Amino acid sequence: MADQPASDRIGGYADAVLAVARAEGAQAEVEDELARFAEALRSSDELQSTLADSVIDVERRLQITEDLLAGQALPATAALVSLVVGAGRGGELVEIIDAAIDRAAAGRNRRVARVRSAVELSGEQRSRLTEAIKAASGLDVEIQAIVDPSVVGGVVTEIGDDVIDGSVRSRLQQMRSGLG
Amino acid sequence: MARRTLRLIATLGVASAVMLVAAGPAWAAGETIGGCVLEQVHHAEEEYGSLGAVEADEKAFKAFEEDLEGCVEAPSPILPELDEIIWGGLAFLILFAFMWWKGFPAVKRAMDARSEKIRADLDAADTAKADAMRTKSEYEAQLAEAKTAAAAIIDEARGQADQLRQDLQARAEADIAEQRTRAAADIESSRRQAIDDLRTEVAAIAVGAAERVVGASLDADVHRSLIDGYIDEVAGAGSNGDGS
Repeated sequence: MADQPASDRIGGYADAVLAVARAEGAQAEVEDELARFAEALRSSDELQSTLADSVIDVERRLQITEDLLAGQALPATAALVSLVVGAGRGGELVEIIDAAIDRAAAGRNRRVARVRSAVELSGEQRSRLTEAIKAASGLDVEIQAIVDPSVVGGVVTEIGDDVIDGSVRSRLQQMRSGLG
Repeated sequence: MARRTLRLIATLGVASAVMLVAAGPAWAAGETIGGCVLEQVHHAEEEYGSLGAVEADEKAFKAFEEDLEGCVEAPSPILPELDEIIWGGLAFLILFAFMWWKGFPAVKRAMDARSEKIRADLDAADTAKADAMRTKSEYEAQLAEAKTAAAAIIDEARGQADQLRQDLQARAEADIAEQRTRAAADIESSRRQAIDDLRTEVAAIAVGAAERVVGASLDADVHRSLIDGYIDEVAGAGSNGDGS
């Protein structure tokens, strides 16, 4: 069986994930849990490589995802992750989840704004940031808040390929560049 | 040649004369044994009357015996008989004439041939000597030419060696200069790289320290203030008509 282009394959899996989430009637929760699981994968290269390693038995990789999500996510979320990993696409799981979330937002005529901060944003801050982004770019966005200690302080917002970086980390990087 | 012939003829003449002179006494005293015996018998009969008287006288008989023994004495070992001289001389003359007629020309021809051969050999030797001298001259000329050529080759080789040495020296000096330049460039590059690395390392240490200081100093209020400030900044960018 010939492999499809990666973008087509990722889009296909994303559509499948969304279809299952809608069918289960818990799309918002599933999206949120998948987003957090994707963020956990981003923060752990070891976990990401383990799920992508074809040398490790599929049963073993499925057992790992089950251990991570059991009691922490909806059964539908765990089943979707297991679906992708069991299909041998664990290495593309993050991209599939991001594509699913982007497509879900697009279905609601919105863009996804991935907002990273060292501490969790409050509801009021999310609302204000949503309004501020709309005021700045004219886009209706859905905030996908990610807690990332590497940001140190402040916020980094990614909308597609656009980045609005107001983090302490970037200022420290600028200082390092100036010193180096 | 004529002198040699005359000398030979003279020698033969002298030899013949000596032989004739020496044969003279023998010819003069020449008598047979019978004659001698008869003479002794006559002499004894005259002296003693008869041969019987001689036999009777012991002393006379003894003298008569001695006389007879004198008749039968051996001829002279030195002086030949006259007839032997005559026949021997005749034979000698015949032989000499024959030799003069046949032998001497043959000997002369042989000697002439020998002389001619010797002359030819001498001429050949002279020719060979001349050839050898010419060959020697040619060899010496070739040797001199070879020496000249060898000297030229040596000079050329020496010149090439000097040129090669100069080229190698120039190349070595160029290589050394290039290596020095390269080494200097490498040293300068390494120095700059070390400075850059040191600067980067110092910056990393400083930024790392700043991160730790900043991270430790950021409490919940500061975080909230930073986030609120970020939101206000984004909102302000929108109100100023500035996009992302």
